[in-house]
Amino acid sequence: MSGFAFASPTILFALIALPAIWWLLRLTPPRPRSEVFPPLRILATVLKREETPAQSPWWLTLLRILLAAAVILAIADPVINPRSNPLASGGPLVLIVDNSWASAEDWERRVQTADLMISDAAEAEIPVSLVFTAEATHDAVPASATVAREHLAAARPKPLVPDRLRAARAVTEALNGTQPGTLAYLSDGIATPADGDMLTALASLSPRDMQLIEGDGQKSLAVTGATNNAAAMSVNATRLKTEGAQNFSVNALDQQGRSLATGTLDFAAGANTATATINAPFELRNDFARLSVEGIATAGATHLLDDGFKRRRIALLSGDSGNDFQPLLLPLYYISRALEPYADLIQPRGGDLAASLREILTSNPSAIVMADVGRLPEESYAPLQQWLNRGGTLIRFAGPRLAAAPADDPLVPVRLRQGERALGGAMSWADPQPLAAFPNFGPFAGMAPPADITVRRQVLAEPTPDLNERTWASLADGTPLVTTREVEAGRIILFHVSADATWSNLPISGNFVEMLRRLVQLSRAGGAAPPEAGATAAALPPYRLLTADGILSTEVGSARPLAIKVGATPIASLDNPPGLYGSEEGFTAVNLLAPNATLSPFDPSSAVFPIVRQGLAGGEAWSLRPLLFAAAFFMLLVDTLIVLFMNGGFARLPRAGRAAAMLAVFAGAIAFAQPGDAHAQTPPAPPAQSAPAQSAPDPNAPIEHAKPGDDTILERLDTTHLAYVITGEGDVDRISEQGLDGLSQFMTYRTTLEPGAPVGVDITKDELSFYPIIYWPVSATAPMPSAAAISRIDAYMRSGGTVLFDTRDQFSSLDSGGTSPNGERLQAILANIDIPPLEPTPSDHVLARSFYLLNNFPGRYNGSPLWVEARQDARNQGTGLSSSGDGVTPILITGNDFAGAWAVDAQGNSVLPTVPPDDMQREHAFRSGVNIMMYMLTGNYKADQVHVPALLERLGQ
Amino acid sequence: MASIGEIVDQTPSAEVLSRARQRAILVPDCMVEARRIANTVIAGWHGRRKRGIGENFWQFRPYADGESLARIDWRRSARDDHTYIRDKEWEAAHTVWLWADMSPSMMYKSTYAAVSKESRALVLMLALAEVLARSGERIGCPGIMEPVSARNAAERLATALVHAPPSTGLPQTEMIRGASDIVLIGDFLDDADRIMQRVAPLARRGLRGHVIEVADPAEEIFPYSGRTEFTDPETGEKLVSGRAESVREIYRNAYLARRENLGQSLRRMGWSFIVHRTDHLASEALGAVHGYLSGNPPRIVPNASSGVGAGANV
Repeated sequence: MSGFAFASPTILFALIALPAIWWLLRLTPPRPRSEVFPPLRILATVLKREETPAQSPWWLTLLRILLAAAVILAIADPVINPRSNPLASGGPLVLIVDNSWASAEDWERRVQTADLMISDAAEAEIPVSLVFTAEATHDAVPASATVAREHLAAARPKPLVPDRLRAARAVTEALNGTQPGTLAYLSDGIATPADGDMLTALASLSPRDMQLIEGDGQKSLAVTGATNNAAAMSVNATRLKTEGAQNFSVNALDQQGRSLATGTLDFAAGANTATATINAPFELRNDFARLSVEGIATAGATHLLDDGFKRRRIALLSGDSGNDFQPLLLPLYYISRALEPYADLIQPRGGDLAASLREILTSNPSAIVMADVGRLPEESYAPLQQWLNRGGTLIRFAGPRLAAAPADDPLVPVRLRQGERALGGAMSWADPQPLAAFPNFGPFAGMAPPADITVRRQVLAEPTPDLNERTWASLADGTPLVTTREVEAGRIILFHVSADATWSNLPISGNFVEMLRRLVQLSRAGGAAPPEAGATAAALPPYRLLTADGILSTEVGSARPLAIKVGATPIASLDNPPGLYGSEEGFTAVNLLAPNATLSPFDPSSAVFPIVRQGLAGGEAWSLRPLLFAAAFFMLLVDTLIVLFMNGGFARLPRAGRAAAMLAVFAGAIAFAQPGDAHAQTPPAPPAQSAPAQSAPDPNAPIEHAKPGDDTILERLDTTHLAYVITGEGDVDRISEQGLDGLSQFMTYRTTLEPGAPVGVDITKDELSFYPIIYWPVSATAPMPSAAAISRIDAYMRSGGTVLFDTRDQFSSLDSGGTSPNGERLQAILANIDIPPLEPTPSDHVLARSFYLLNNFPGRYNGSPLWVEARQDARNQGTGLSSSGDGVTPILITGNDFAGAWAVDAQGNSVLPTVPPDDMQREHAFRSGVNIMMYMLTGNYKADQVHVPALLERLGQ
Repeated sequence: MASIGEIVDQTPSAEVLSRARQRAILVPDCMVEARRIANTVIAGWHGRRKRGIGENFWQFRPYADGESLARIDWRRSARDDHTYIRDKEWEAAHTVWLWADMSPSMMYKSTYAAVSKESRALVLMLALAEVLARSGERIGCPGIMEPVSARNAAERLATALVHAPPSTGLPQTEMIRGASDIVLIGDFLDDADRIMQRVAPLARRGLRGHVIEVADPAEEIFPYSGRTEFTDPETGEKLVSGRAESVREIYRNAYLARRENLGQSLRRMGWSFIVHRTDHLASEALGAVHGYLSGNPPRIVPNASSGVGAGANV
């Protein structure tokens, strides 16, 4: 396989020219720099006639010759290990490719190898029959190289064991008697049971040449199983290549893919299995979602775990059936409430304990919770004991019945004293006991110490030497609260208090839920080990599937639902690729390999015809061209530096800078000499990086692009507009518009203010700051504005705007005697706004004199005061809401229905009559509007007029 | 690599004139020290400290018989019983000869300087002409222009220079007569002995001389390095140095020794010697020569590195 060849050897003739180059280079010395120098005479007196080299130094010439040679060689493209495996002609090329899990690690090289063979076939114009062994369907009909290449590009490794026999049969079928030329088998190197049959089937094709191409298989490693022991999780793995000792670390990952713990697989030399131990507290172990061998990204090196995430089946059993209409007194009530979120609960219907237990045990629960069951029927002990031995978890709660039960109960973890102990009763000196901190072993380790739990009554354990280590929780005085005992594979856990709130307040505390949850996590997810197989069957839909690279993906593709047989470990197949089946709440893991499977090398010795074995292509044929070019470039760089040095290029630099420059130049040269490394170290600049720079606003840039709506804004700014809030009710909004229109016309006639057309604003989104005042007719039937809209109004008022609320209910409130609906709505609107204290407009307020002299402010109705912000004392000025508005009140409230009085139609006639019908009142309503607008626009300017008499008087002195 | 020095074209007179004027603006009027001013009858502004023809008042003296009655100062005479005559100070003009070297070596300009030596020399010459003409002195240029006393002497000198034949070496001295000042501006790269041979007769004739050596920084600091071929712009002679930086120190010593030698010889004759580098401001040299001309030799050495040029007249 080793060799050395030139891709284009004719270029090498150029090497003949090297002596000529040598001669030329020797002839031309480096040219001196030419300088005019007037004081030459002085220089001539000091300058000794130097030996100027007429020729370049020999080593420089040698360097240049080497440079030229390197370039010529690089162009000739020397290749180490050129690929050479001629295809046998005379029949189609049959290419069988294992795209099984073990091929994922070096899939690119496999594709490259196959591609090269296809290229050879294309050159020889041989049709290609390409099959993949782990595919569901095979299309082995010989096709052109182009089609085969497309198939090859589309193929991906599958997380499956190859089905070689089927592929071989497909080839036989497709060739239909044609004798193939070369039959190449790209194997993953792992034996399958059907290998012999496949080789026989292939031999029957009688190919002219058979090549077996294998990878090195160094990373063909599979995790075959993981078991949860008492202290640690042990992981079994098998590997293909047994020579040499190998170390792999196994990471335990949680559902998010974070590494929780790590173990080490130590393969001894010659061994093909190893066991790793992952030490972790079992709470952590419950979070293990999958195991992954570090550095190997194949489906085989990933082992999915489901135990920690499986929903447990838990049976509940109570001593007294109780009555359903007082559920809080039932002990099972608290347990079921606590367990419901993460367990499937089984509650037997009948009251008969024996029948209930039978029913429970047939469903094979993970755990059985018994609340205050004193003594079981005699015949139930044996099956329960069996279930426990197989791995069940029995959680018991004390109670009056248990306390009264005989002491030789085999199903309690510790020996109990007869009767219970009461604390803090009328006749007792002892206080109710709180819980001690949880010990640092057991499932409750790490839980916060419960502070608010008191135990008034408990059953007591007989002191034994091992009582301490069996106690998972105890009271402050040291008496155990939760004790446990392992029974073969199973476990009995006893709470020394009752499951209802009579003995302690533990069941109604949050700790109870957490404690039960942890205990349930402790139990075996699969229930006790199966007594018999195939008891129930359920179909689970695929939830997450493993890719060939050992990554979980939501892409379920053509996977079928998994039929679960109780007791049977599901095996990965074409229909059920490895992955998780079920749903988010609970799932079953399907792994690639059966537990205790081992990997053994593919053995072609059973073939009856000679097989040429060879390795994968790709990476072996190694071109020297980049290296030569890099060397040439490096030499060029060195040559440049030397010439620069000889001509004194560095002497011009200051001494420190000279050293730095030399260093930089050489560092650059070395970096260039390793182009591959340098490229690897400089990742391509992310294109997104430039995006924020471009989008960053340039504060100096003129605004070039007018936005839509700019003309509207300019129009609003050019002319003062009266604005009203669009309430959403058509008639109210129409009156508002007509009213403001009427007021605008009135002001145009009577004042210098000529407002534009009234504008209805949508307070949820329109810009409010263009308007000095916004008229808001409050309507109880209109939809309540959103909190965001109200906060916009608040912001508007804070920034100097004024809102004129008009409840239009001056007379309607008379009938109801209280607040009118509109008033209530106004209260609701203002509830979230920080409004200043209000007062009815005093007679000396600016509003009463800002244009007309007014005594009251009537609208359609007369009599409602116009509420304005109460004027504050001088010392309070400058604080509060009104400070931003130059003393102008941010809020005006009236009930007089201004807009109704102002409303005019297109002909200029009043729309609504005043109440009572009085033209003078309408005139005053307009005057009120004018005063309000003048007040809005001039602020307290008019207020200064109040002081005019005093000022005049002072001036007169 | 671009070469450090180059030979540039001759600078147009008009441009030099305008630059010279800018320099001249910065310098106050220059009255050539009248110690040894030629006893000429040409009216000038040099007060002779004795009565004569002039504009300024010198003294009142009693009327002597025979003098013109018109010279009696009646206002003074009215004060007492004597009759007085108002005497004016005798004011005469002085001749200053200005000469700048125009040889090809002066066309040299290195990257260290903004202008060529010739350009700087012309600027200095015309600026001096402007300043001196402003003071009413007579300006001449040996071999090129007879001394004139005119306000536009600088312009006339510039015009004359345009039409002057290209000169080499030292000035022709036939035109120079009588006691006057001469300002020589050039690079003086020739042998000091040769220069002294030409200059010494002038000194013996009583001329007061001021020599401004205009040097390019590249000539002084010798910034060349590496393999360099040097060419003399005047003779075209070539010299190759393998490692130019190696001779820097020796060259500098030789260069400075030549300058020191020249300066000492000139000072021995009572002449002043000013070194000016083209990377410095023209005003420096102008100020220095102004000081020497007006009899106030600068106390502070303008070019500390040269170490010469101070105290020439002491």
